[in-house]
Amino acid sequence: MKPAKSVVEIWQWGGPSQLEMFDPKPKADRDFNGGLKAIPTNVPGMELHEWWPEMAKCADLFSVIRTMTHTEFGHETACYLMQTGRMPGGGEVCPAIGAVISQVKRKEYKGDLPPYVILTREKGRFSEVGFLGTTAAPLVTGGRPNSSRFSVDGIVPPEGITPEASKARFDLLAALDGWKPAEKSDNAALATAFDFAGKEARRIAEGDAAKVFDLSLETKEIRDSYGRTDIGQTLLVARRLVEYGVPYITVNVPGWDSHKRHFETMRRKSLDTDLAIATFLKDMKSKGLLDSTVVWMSGEFGRTPRVGWEAPWNGGRGHYARCFSAMVAGGGFKGGQVVGVSDETASKPVSRPVSPQDFLGSIYACCGIDPDGPLPNSQGKKMKILPPQSSEGRLRELYTESA
Amino acid sequence: MDMNLTRRAFFGGATAWAVWPKNLFGAPNKGGKPNRPPQASAWEKPDGSATDSVMARRLYLDLAGRIPTRDEAQAYVYSADPKKRQVLADKLLASQDFANYWAMRFCDILRVKSEFPINLWPNAVYVYHARIRAFVEQNEPWDAFGRTLLTAQGSDFRDAEANFFRATDMRTPDGWAEAVAQTFLGIPPIKLKPALKAELAAYLGNVKIKDTREWKEEIVFVEGTDRRGELCDLLFAKKRAEVAAAFSRTVRRWIFGPKAGAAKAPGEMRLKNMLREIVLSPEYARGSVTGGFPARKLDAEVLDDAICALSGSSRDYQSPAPEPFTFLPPKRATVCVEDGSITSGFLTLFGRPARDKGLQDERGSDVTAKQRLYLFNSATVHRQMGQIAGPPGKLPDGTPNPIYQLPFPKRVDDIYWRMLAREPTPQERQLILGIWQKRGGGKKRNVRPFDLLRDVAWCLINTKEFIFRI
Repeated sequence: MKPAKSVVEIWQWGGPSQLEMFDPKPKADRDFNGGLKAIPTNVPGMELHEWWPEMAKCADLFSVIRTMTHTEFGHETACYLMQTGRMPGGGEVCPAIGAVISQVKRKEYKGDLPPYVILTREKGRFSEVGFLGTTAAPLVTGGRPNSSRFSVDGIVPPEGITPEASKARFDLLAALDGWKPAEKSDNAALATAFDFAGKEARRIAEGDAAKVFDLSLETKEIRDSYGRTDIGQTLLVARRLVEYGVPYITVNVPGWDSHKRHFETMRRKSLDTDLAIATFLKDMKSKGLLDSTVVWMSGEFGRTPRVGWEAPWNGGRGHYARCFSAMVAGGGFKGGQVVGVSDETASKPVSRPVSPQDFLGSIYACCGIDPDGPLPNSQGKKMKILPPQSSEGRLRELYTESA
Repeated sequence: MDMNLTRRAFFGGATAWAVWPKNLFGAPNKGGKPNRPPQASAWEKPDGSATDSVMARRLYLDLAGRIPTRDEAQAYVYSADPKKRQVLADKLLASQDFANYWAMRFCDILRVKSEFPINLWPNAVYVYHARIRAFVEQNEPWDAFGRTLLTAQGSDFRDAEANFFRATDMRTPDGWAEAVAQTFLGIPPIKLKPALKAELAAYLGNVKIKDTREWKEEIVFVEGTDRRGELCDLLFAKKRAEVAAAFSRTVRRWIFGPKAGAAKAPGEMRLKNMLREIVLSPEYARGSVTGGFPARKLDAEVLDDAICALSGSSRDYQSPAPEPFTFLPPKRATVCVEDGSITSGFLTLFGRPARDKGLQDERGSDVTAKQRLYLFNSATVHRQMGQIAGPPGKLPDGTPNPIYQLPFPKRVDDIYWRMLAREPTPQERQLILGIWQKRGGGKKRNVRPFDLLRDVAWCLINTKEFIFRI
């Protein structure tokens, strides 16, 4: 299996409902399915919830896992588990999968942008780089792709500074930055590192990295096809980052924590996300990028199968980790597959439970990284990338070739 | 209440435009060059000691966690008082800024944050922060403070010190033993010998934590014999010298960097006394060019506050966690943000510690390309530099801002004083005025002082002299 070059992680922050996504239960009671339906897909026998009509048209491009399972019901601990494959505690804060993969892949990556880019905000629940520290820190873009100008602070230069004006400014800076410590002192080493970082930064500032974020270089048709929504335009940027070669791109999609008025929230979020991801997968496929890019989507957990109709929830769902759904596509994963069967209300796995470490382990494996190998770090920590896989094992049934 | 004091407390001394000085033409800079001997360089005197400007900036950054304002810098540099270092040190040590800044540092090592992996949660964060700040402000001896922490029990909402037992990712006797060794003996978990760990843990075996029916309220209590008093006797009597040396090493490390050891004769347990001794020592007066004084990168929070104060902008902080939302009072200095879980892209980028482990080196001291790229190229910084070059035309009381009546060279001086606590050297001044004249400044109407001043501000914020405390 040829290792994937890039990963696009679509993180459904807050925990999306498995029942209104990839594990619909149309035959269950209204207290579980809200009276909503499932729809067929272009893959015989594979059904999605009715709020994912565009994904249903290209189900051959991705696979779903209906039996993700763990035991953490709090956002921050579950997020940590789903991002690191480890239970919280034990005196360590481990790096998230994005920090690890980008650190391994940066050796073969030639681009000017950092190897780990987050669109557009951090998860915020824990430090995603863990003990790897600031050198592994992602570029967090900020800004809004779905606006007239996607301003990425630091990368996209401010308007009104011409290349000539910029050069004049750098010349003046060189003359004014006069503090120069005596040679071979500790301060001299500090000053040298500062100047070195400055040279690197200037090279990036004067290079063409900023063009990656310039959506005006895309046609109106392409922009419209993703949907003029935050998630749509953000995924278009993600595709441009894959083309540029960035090894790990995280798209954080907040707003799935639907304790109250779940169905209103879920319908709106699903329809936007459905169009955006379906277009993204098709676009990636047509550009020949999907085979070399792992795309995965999940949240930290799913949602309580039984709907809380009473006040104050008014049709809400709570946190639920025992059984929830995830999606994988591209980069060595087969499409059109369904892994695992849950019970009649999506409350527990009936067959093939998938643990967070086995799920993440499969992604590492598709990237050509041995999940049982040492976790690369300069902190002197002797630790494997993931804990040993469970008895059920990694998602080998989804690999296009045996790894 | 004294309004100025109130503002100080809330703004952490950051100078917003509300305190823009009106007396721009006044003494001591009246009529050209100040009356003082020429200096070997802008940073070091011929004898290898720091210049007054460097010393002013050092004292403000180290003791108050902020850069001095133009007036504060000039007051120090032009003072003829031979004891001016001592006078300023005492003033700063007594200030609210000192309490805010040093509370931040102790909250770093005591891991004050709401969320994973510490999970103090907001209510406890605020009471614990207030208690730590009181330790700093009231100059409580470190051992006395330690005793209140280690013997505390009760609700995390009301008995602030009890949070010592909650502010660790392992709430077990072993986890607490590690926290005790790290906090009071300066031994990080990785170097803690099993025998000592077991010895410390034995005193903490009966400490328990239980939930209440209040959201995130927890009770720290002791079941059976409370042996924590014996632990305090062990630490603060039997091992007193070790505790004092560790405390000295911790504090000196914040000033002199990772190579700093403990003081020659440690024993001082009061923070202000220790810092006073440090900043009045000959060691502290050394220059950073040839004198060997170790430079350090400004803390992310301090840098953020400095840029905001210079540009008259501010940050609003809130917690993204949905339960519960937390909004901090607007326009407060970043140094004052209590909760390590409330952060920003800027703070993460510039190395604010995660407060996961409470080790001093959790704070990122490197300057990275990403940081420099942000300061070179960010639209936010670009706007802020414009605000430094072109402050509002009117002061809050409606009178015209006198800055606009100054000739161009004086406006360059003003920016230097505000950003670097000094005037430009003759070469620097000449260079900038040369560009001004070449562009036709003062002659062509479309050549505005603003554009070149913004470039000057941009340059200065990107110098080592600004980014480091030298």
